[in-house]
Amino acid sequence: MLESFVGFLQTTGAAALFQDGWIPAVKIIIMIAIACVLLYLAIVKQFEPLLLLPIAFGMLLTNLPMLKDSSAIMMHTEFFTDPQYMIDGKYIDVGHICRHGGLLDLLYLGVKLGIYPPLIFIGIGCMTDFGPLIANPKSIILGAAAQFGVFFTFLGALVLGAVFPGISFGVNEAASIGIIGGADGPTAIYVTKTLAPHLLPAIAVAAYSYMALIPIIQPPFMKLMTTKKMRMVVMDQLRPVSKTEKILFPIIVTIIVGLIIPDAVSLVGCLMLGNLFKESGVCDRLCKTAQNELMNIVTIFLGVTVGATATAESFLSGETIGIVVLGLIAFCFSTVGGLALGDLMYVLTKGKVNPLIGSAGVSAVPMAARVSQTVGQKENPSNFLLMHAMGPNVAGVIGSAVAAGVFLSMFA
Amino acid sequence: MTVQEALAEGLSVTGVGLAIVFSVLVILMLVMMAMKKIFYKDPAKANKEAPVATPAPADAPVVKAETKVDEGELIAVLTAAIAASLNTSTYNLQIKSYRRIENRKPAWNKAGVSETINSRY
Repeated sequence: MLESFVGFLQTTGAAALFQDGWIPAVKIIIMIAIACVLLYLAIVKQFEPLLLLPIAFGMLLTNLPMLKDSSAIMMHTEFFTDPQYMIDGKYIDVGHICRHGGLLDLLYLGVKLGIYPPLIFIGIGCMTDFGPLIANPKSIILGAAAQFGVFFTFLGALVLGAVFPGISFGVNEAASIGIIGGADGPTAIYVTKTLAPHLLPAIAVAAYSYMALIPIIQPPFMKLMTTKKMRMVVMDQLRPVSKTEKILFPIIVTIIVGLIIPDAVSLVGCLMLGNLFKESGVCDRLCKTAQNELMNIVTIFLGVTVGATATAESFLSGETIGIVVLGLIAFCFSTVGGLALGDLMYVLTKGKVNPLIGSAGVSAVPMAARVSQTVGQKENPSNFLLMHAMGPNVAGVIGSAVAAGVFLSMFA
Repeated sequence: MTVQEALAEGLSVTGVGLAIVFSVLVILMLVMMAMKKIFYKDPAKANKEAPVATPAPADAPVVKAETKVDEGELIAVLTAAIAASLNTSTYNLQIKSYRRIENRKPAWNKAGVSETINSRY
């Protein structure tokens, strides 16, 4: 009787907490505390709760203390990163994962094999209206300028890695960190899982947290980079866009992007597939499923499993701090890049373009466009910039996917 | 990697990467401009009537809709809206011309819209 009770006590998580001594135990407790803080941010502060909540809970699940080789372990990050468990030390061993993996290991295959981010892009495509962009083609350039932060941060991360030997940022890590500046969660995850899987949790948390902070991060730069006169500009009404154009647009974009940069096709192609579902008007059922059920299901899988990769070893490091700082820099420079080109357009068009729409070139749709609208309305209450800002905003989605393709084609 | 190497590598990737991103998006811009040329006809040029909005009661029955289909639809909608607000029949109305006017929403209306937008952060 007593023996079986002691036997049970030895299998508890509390006993497992101290199996490796004090230091790992403290790390586990810190990780659980971080998970709880993120849960607080998601639930009380409502920072992108649809993603941050599953990510935080995944973090909690994966850091619960477990006995070694317990069948209760839901996530074995070593299966995906430790060469010992991989075929030829390089490729993940799907058979081994299926036989020995837990629930989250199996779901994480969808991230690792690059399945979830494109599926989410189909849903995003179904919800995106490219009309404002087609009506004002020049605004697509603002979406390109906002990728400035991506590349600048890449440069910054490389130099930082060279200056501080403790932080090992090579080109792969630098590219994954830079892509945070695209302000596009699925794209950041897609690049990181290929180039620097060990940084995935930190990059995902940084990307989604900063996206939630866009209304706080962007306005100071918007005020700094524009004059009151510029912010007051009322733009001409957008022309109506015909259905033919809206249907042709996704097809043409897919072909052009495919011809130039094939590595971006899995993201851009899926985005355009979803958009064609919507604009064609003949696939209503598919469109509804893709933007609701499919997207929600994939979001749950993606969030929980990305969170579950955040083990103490990978998350509690100097690199995470570097990522948090560089991610913020990436966001700031993307905003500045978009605004700078907005200012240039203001000058070139002799005051017809309101430069505030430039900051919407970061792709966080539709938050960045709403920020442009709000800042513009503060100066001129009758101004309605939202639709004008949606042009650069959806262009930013294409731009960051292309930037991701550039990194993948160079380094993958 | 030394700092110089990192800078050199980083700058070359930055240059090439930004060039590719810009060139892809510029090509897309040119395509969209071409689409505008092909598919879009400026209504201001297509319809050169005096731009005054006057719902005029007329004895004649419904005038034939203008040449273009979507415009006919718009006129039908306008006629119906005016008929409803004047409490009369569409047969007594003739739309001679119409023009879009500036946004003159009441202040309360505007405040409501901006409040809705702000609450969605």
